[in-house]
Amino acid sequence: MQSKWDIGEPEKPTINTETEQLKSDLLTLNMGPQHPATHGVLRLEIWTDSEIVAHAIPHLGYLHRCMEKHAENLDYRGIIPFVDRLDYLAAMNMEWTYVAAVEKMLGTEVPRRAELLRILVAELQRIASHLMAFGTYALDLGAFTPFLYAFDEREKILRLFEEVSGARLLYNYVWVGGVWNDWTDEQLVRVAQFCDVMEEEAKKYNELVSKNKIFVERTANVGVFTVEDCLSYGATGPVLRGSGMKWDLRKNKPYSLYSEFDFDVPVGEGEEGRPGDCWNRYMVRMKEVIQSIKIVRQVLEKLEPGPIMGKVPKIIKLPKGEVYVRHECPRGELGIHLVSEGEKQPFRLKVKSPCFTHVSMLPHVAPGQMIADLVATVGSIDIVLGEVDR
Amino acid sequence: MLNVDFNKLAELINRNVPGANAVVNEAADTKCDSSITVDAAKIYSVVEFLKTNKEMPFNSLQVISGVDYVEWMEVCYMLAHFDLETPREFILKVKVTDRVAPAVDSIVKLYAAANFQERECYDMFGIKFNNHPDHRRILCPDDWEGFPLRKDYIAQKVYNGMEVYPDGKMNFEDREFVVRQDMIKKAQTQAAN
Amino acid sequence: MSTIHQTGSVKDYFCDLISGITTTAKGMWITFKYVWAVKPVSIEYPEVREVLPERARMRLFNDVQNCISCTQCAMACPVDCIYIASEKRPEGEEIKKTSNGQPIRLKLTQFTIDTALCCYCGLCTTVCPTECLTHSHDYEFSQYTIDSMKYDYLAPDVIAWRDRIVKA
Repeated sequence: MQSKWDIGEPEKPTINTETEQLKSDLLTLNMGPQHPATHGVLRLEIWTDSEIVAHAIPHLGYLHRCMEKHAENLDYRGIIPFVDRLDYLAAMNMEWTYVAAVEKMLGTEVPRRAELLRILVAELQRIASHLMAFGTYALDLGAFTPFLYAFDEREKILRLFEEVSGARLLYNYVWVGGVWNDWTDEQLVRVAQFCDVMEEEAKKYNELVSKNKIFVERTANVGVFTVEDCLSYGATGPVLRGSGMKWDLRKNKPYSLYSEFDFDVPVGEGEEGRPGDCWNRYMVRMKEVIQSIKIVRQVLEKLEPGPIMGKVPKIIKLPKGEVYVRHECPRGELGIHLVSEGEKQPFRLKVKSPCFTHVSMLPHVAPGQMIADLVATVGSIDIVLGEVDR
Repeated sequence: MLNVDFNKLAELINRNVPGANAVVNEAADTKCDSSITVDAAKIYSVVEFLKTNKEMPFNSLQVISGVDYVEWMEVCYMLAHFDLETPREFILKVKVTDRVAPAVDSIVKLYAAANFQERECYDMFGIKFNNHPDHRRILCPDDWEGFPLRKDYIAQKVYNGMEVYPDGKMNFEDREFVVRQDMIKKAQTQAAN
Repeated sequence: MSTIHQTGSVKDYFCDLISGITTTAKGMWITFKYVWAVKPVSIEYPEVREVLPERARMRLFNDVQNCISCTQCAMACPVDCIYIASEKRPEGEEIKKTSNGQPIRLKLTQFTIDTALCCYCGLCTTVCPTECLTHSHDYEFSQYTIDSMKYDYLAPDVIAWRDRIVKA
């Protein structure tokens, strides 16, 4: 009698078509667009050979909002809220770059206090953005607590920005000719206090994450970009500096009042791993936080009462011509190519986004990596998809 | 622009790349940037020369930006030299007059950055880049019709069975919207008078 | 690319082990200190509410009694979410004045803001000549339909809202 366990010969699967056969080919995996490790809506089509990545193809455009087309139908002041939404984690730097392009064509003289306040908010924003990068990078690699610590400190900056501009992320604070609101002395005192706290915190983060053996093993020697790669791909910012090139627009081509400030340009020195890997890119950001604190302190020393708005015509009309302006933003160099035909609206506004460039480097570095290492690489270049897709 | 003598650079290009026809576009306004226009057929050799020469090299391509002037289209290459002593940058331009099938040679072999930038330029302006290794759209869907940043662009009516800008869409149906448009026009004419 | 295939000596193995344990213990100590040394920073939201800063840009409010229907806010709006309509006053009707003394020549017949479209940039409030269009501090205004996000400021139910926001 047949027992209930004895089911006889297993039925052989019938293979009819060629496509159903088991293959030893590459497996196609979709990472994203809803994957938390892609920092937004990046879709990476990964071809894997077991766990080794053979190709990674980025598919962009999930957050495409036609910002450049919209800008052609808006007046110059109305574009600022749109520029905010490019890199929503560093909106102050985005605004400043765009406004600098308009001011260059307009020939506006910005009062000294306004310029200093712009540097103040830009550097504070850089700290906030790097804190976000630090927190989410640790989160990508499986450590949850640093994320909470980083957000605690970032919240203090956002609170200051909320008090001075009225919004927490999309400020519309840097205006053509100056800045919207002035900072009170009480707020500046709080900035100074924040600088002291942040310096201690940065030390703590280094102890907690940067030197941690597990973190180092996950990031050192992973996703290496050489300086030649970076230049060929046009990479800038922490990615270029992490590879060991001491290039910072604030130092090499000083705009605004940056030539008056004393600060270092941190580069990846290869304390762990070698220059150009994830750990060095990450470390450059952590060192930049310290340098930004240094700049903020100098701003607080230099600030003197004065006007915060220059003379700007009520309806802005730019002369016929074009400018290309680039500024050092937390994620790299943001370039604005502004073409005007003498109208109230720009004829063409092209945004050179650093993250777009950095995403184009992924197919170069991905082959040969483990999937988990690819997550570490994507996190270390710190992309914001609002800026990639515009 | 930074550390670039335009006349000297144009002369250099003309001397070394025959047929490049480099012309300096002096900015009419001193606040604006000048640029150099070269012949579209020679763009590859011009960029190759700019990258490899000893006198004034440019080691990085920042961005490729298209501009549609209705009568012609321009492709602007922002070249930069990342060097600690003498950083440089300038705008190199190429004019394309054909609107039906515009084409320029690709420079991906020289700068890897051109890969995505040229794809974006194709996506937005429909300028084809010859010899591009991966010539697809990048930001719009692959089957999207038309090139959004051209000045004569009209969005397609139906995409994959979905209506683009449907009449029933809430904020377009608003009668208030029309009323408001009229009000603005009225106010503007009043202000003009 | 990755370091997993490296083979090292026995000494390296134990060095790695020890550094792994010490650095992790150090990190654990830092997080452990939070048990008593750091006070919680989160707020129990529905019960405790944060006081917003004075300049906070939340839901827009228009005080229609001060509005002179100049349409400057509608023109400044980058997303076109303000709808204004007005007509000429009938002959003989008294021309009121705003709180800062400007005569209200036109009769406002419609002032609607589509809050679902609004991007809270604050450009409309800066151009307003009578300062009647302001950002209030209300941030809880979710609705079930997108149609109810359209606020008609001439509707009678706004009056209660106005009493709370406009301080005489």
